[in-house]
Amino acid sequence: MRLDYKSIWQKYGTLGIFILLVIILGILSPQYFLTVNNLIQVALQGAITIIIALGEFFTILIAGIDLSVGSVVALTGMITAKMMVAGVPVFWAVLIGGVLVGGILGAINGSLVNITNLHPFIITLGTQAIFRGITLIISDARPVFGFPKSFTEGLAGWLGPIPIPVLIAIAMALILNFITTKTKFGRNVYALGGNSQAAWFSGINIKLHTLMVFIISGICSGIAGVVMTARLGAAEPLAGIGFETFAIASAIIGGASFFGGKGKVSGVFVGGLIISVINNGLNILNVETYYQQVVMGALIIGAVAFDKLLATRKG
Amino acid sequence: MGLLVEMKNISKEFSGVKVLKNVNFELFEGEVHVLLGENGAGKSTLMKILTGIYEPTAGSIIINGKEYSKLSPKEAKENGISIIYQELSVIDALSIEENIFVGNLPTKKFLNLSIIDYEKLREKAKNILKEVGLNKDPRILVEELSISEKQLVEIAKALAQDAKIIIMDEPTSSLTMEETRNLFNIVNRLKKKNVGIIYISHKLKEIFEIGDRVTVLRDGEYIGTKEVKDVNEVMLINMMVGRELKSKYFDSTHTYLKKTEVIFEVKNLTRADKKVQNVSFKLYKGEILGFAGLIGAGRSELMNAIFGTAKISSGEIYLFGNRIFIDHPYAALKKGIALVPENRREMGFFPNFDIKQNISIIPFLKTSRFYGIWGLIDKNKEKRYATEQKKYLNIKCSSINQNIIELSGGNQQKVVIAKWLAANSNIIIFDEPTKGIDVGAKSEIYTIMRKLVEEGKGIIVVSSELPELLLLCDRIVVFKDGQIQAIFTSEEATEEKIMAAAALGGQRGREVL
Repeated sequence: MRLDYKSIWQKYGTLGIFILLVIILGILSPQYFLTVNNLIQVALQGAITIIIALGEFFTILIAGIDLSVGSVVALTGMITAKMMVAGVPVFWAVLIGGVLVGGILGAINGSLVNITNLHPFIITLGTQAIFRGITLIISDARPVFGFPKSFTEGLAGWLGPIPIPVLIAIAMALILNFITTKTKFGRNVYALGGNSQAAWFSGINIKLHTLMVFIISGICSGIAGVVMTARLGAAEPLAGIGFETFAIASAIIGGASFFGGKGKVSGVFVGGLIISVINNGLNILNVETYYQQVVMGALIIGAVAFDKLLATRKG
Repeated sequence: MGLLVEMKNISKEFSGVKVLKNVNFELFEGEVHVLLGENGAGKSTLMKILTGIYEPTAGSIIINGKEYSKLSPKEAKENGISIIYQELSVIDALSIEENIFVGNLPTKKFLNLSIIDYEKLREKAKNILKEVGLNKDPRILVEELSISEKQLVEIAKALAQDAKIIIMDEPTSSLTMEETRNLFNIVNRLKKKNVGIIYISHKLKEIFEIGDRVTVLRDGEYIGTKEVKDVNEVMLINMMVGRELKSKYFDSTHTYLKKTEVIFEVKNLTRADKKVQNVSFKLYKGEILGFAGLIGAGRSELMNAIFGTAKISSGEIYLFGNRIFIDHPYAALKKGIALVPENRREMGFFPNFDIKQNISIIPFLKTSRFYGIWGLIDKNKEKRYATEQKKYLNIKCSSINQNIIELSGGNQQKVVIAKWLAANSNIIIFDEPTKGIDVGAKSEIYTIMRKLVEEGKGIIVVSSELPELLLLCDRIVVFKDGQIQAIFTSEEATEEKIMAAAALGGQRGREVL
């Protein structure tokens, strides 16, 4: 019997890293890290990353990418804030400014990919700047604040001991997990990511699926945008800068493959938690926040390189 | 004639599994020695041992009187062993001359730096190109060459390295008849220069054209070496498969049955890009209709137009007498029209899926609304589709949960066919269905096709192997320049007639014969 390291890694690798990190940090800093308060903090800090990463995961699943997630977070947050300040009821502001606008921004990404046939990297690199620019234009580069309590407490408050953003992340993970594992749409997305030519020759409507995938990514970022605005109590025009790095890192560390067609929602969820644990750990160990970027970048490269190493090594 | 290399009692194990057992192989100067065997027989492994990629577990290799227990890639190269892979390894972005001498470019001194001596390079390249019969400016980029020309560049590269032994792995698999003939001329020229050639091929016919001796491997075992003039096709097939081919469809004597019920008809079809023009044909119930033609004649282009993967500008398609409109493969799928594409690795299957997922994708698409998006995965149905097809097509696998990339080419092809059968397709288009598949699996695919038409389905086969079309088809359509040149019934059809029509057109073809 030969141990199949590859499949063990694919099944339990992400979870293993997570547990290992928790153990290491628990040993290094038992008095701070392993407190209930801190662990809840880890989950809370991870929630927004996870919500964005779940959408990012769909675009990576079709061998694409979405670099515009950070800008979508800012723009949806800003539009929602402006609507509430203008007197639109919270429910409608969140639904339209967050979910609907997020979906529309995603649809713009997806349509541009479909129309131009360019790689999503190029399209979302462009829309990332465009969405950011629009955010700055409509806000005049100034933050917007002064929201009803129902907004800040409804989206960023607590339900008993658990922060609501964490519940939102869990709910979204459950919904998206259902989509990827139980629906024909989800199966088609994996097929498209695994071999787009074969998908085309099997009758899968590639453009429709691509569009849907980017709409999902947009909606996720839109929801993250309103949750973040609620948490901060303000819509910042420069919010979400660099979030794509965290989202991509979560998805890749969570087992998604840049080559498409591989990965699981549960993995991405744990991947997001890993990112949060690392950030939290670096804070506790008094490492300056600037180093977190360095660690994130190194992690992305390391995870992809390791994935490739496993993929190419045989027998 | 001197002995170039002798491989004695070569064995090779991979983690306990014997893939080569006491294999003997020798190559003389100026000989073409064909290495024959089904996929997985051990041909590639043996050649990888000769080129120094693998170490043999036992046995020895004798070159120039020197005995090696293993070769390093460097030693193989120094001893003039060179291999031309099926997937060519030329560098598109470099010129012909740079490709030929890559890694060994002539240099001169300039301001005390070594720089490439292009004049010398060009002169050397021109000489070598003359030898391989490639009449091109050595300065042009390789990306501008056709596949067969790139292959010649590879041969030139081998010659530039002073190769004494050239291994050719399925060299004609992507070549047209004419290009193949040209390659054979070069092989003959190389023979005269005392180069020894190891020729790996599935195409039995080629062996008789080009081979001097043939060695057959089966399941890693050495079956024997024969002079080509002493054997015939049937003997070779029996040596390869080790049993008499049971399939009754393997003899070429089946008779043309008159079929009456038209189930599918194409009228005056023209593609938007004019690659197919004004094509009309009928497909009868229970019929296998073949499409013959040279590579580039437009046969695949026609099938793509029918299947909805290419745009048509005019023409009509009828299914069971009703006009249908297919603008996308999804529409074809919904109507029960299937296409098993030319290149299964690139267009046929999903490498990230297991067998059951690969098979169930099409029935799932067919039974769901809104372009196949709507609906849930039914795990029981998924399992049932796969189990039924596994049995029906005799897919050899450890279970339906096995990943498709672990299967042999023939079984992968069966899975690609299975996904269409699971969706109850009535018209099945096969584009080069047995390309790169070993003889045993080939005959199984033929049996499947026969079984399908007996059940009343209609089959269209595009194939570049004439014997395959002749033994399978009820009628054969000959294609050239995107148009139908002739249609023969199986009784009328001969290789000569088909080749004449394919090469010269219907009118000229008849005149010549």
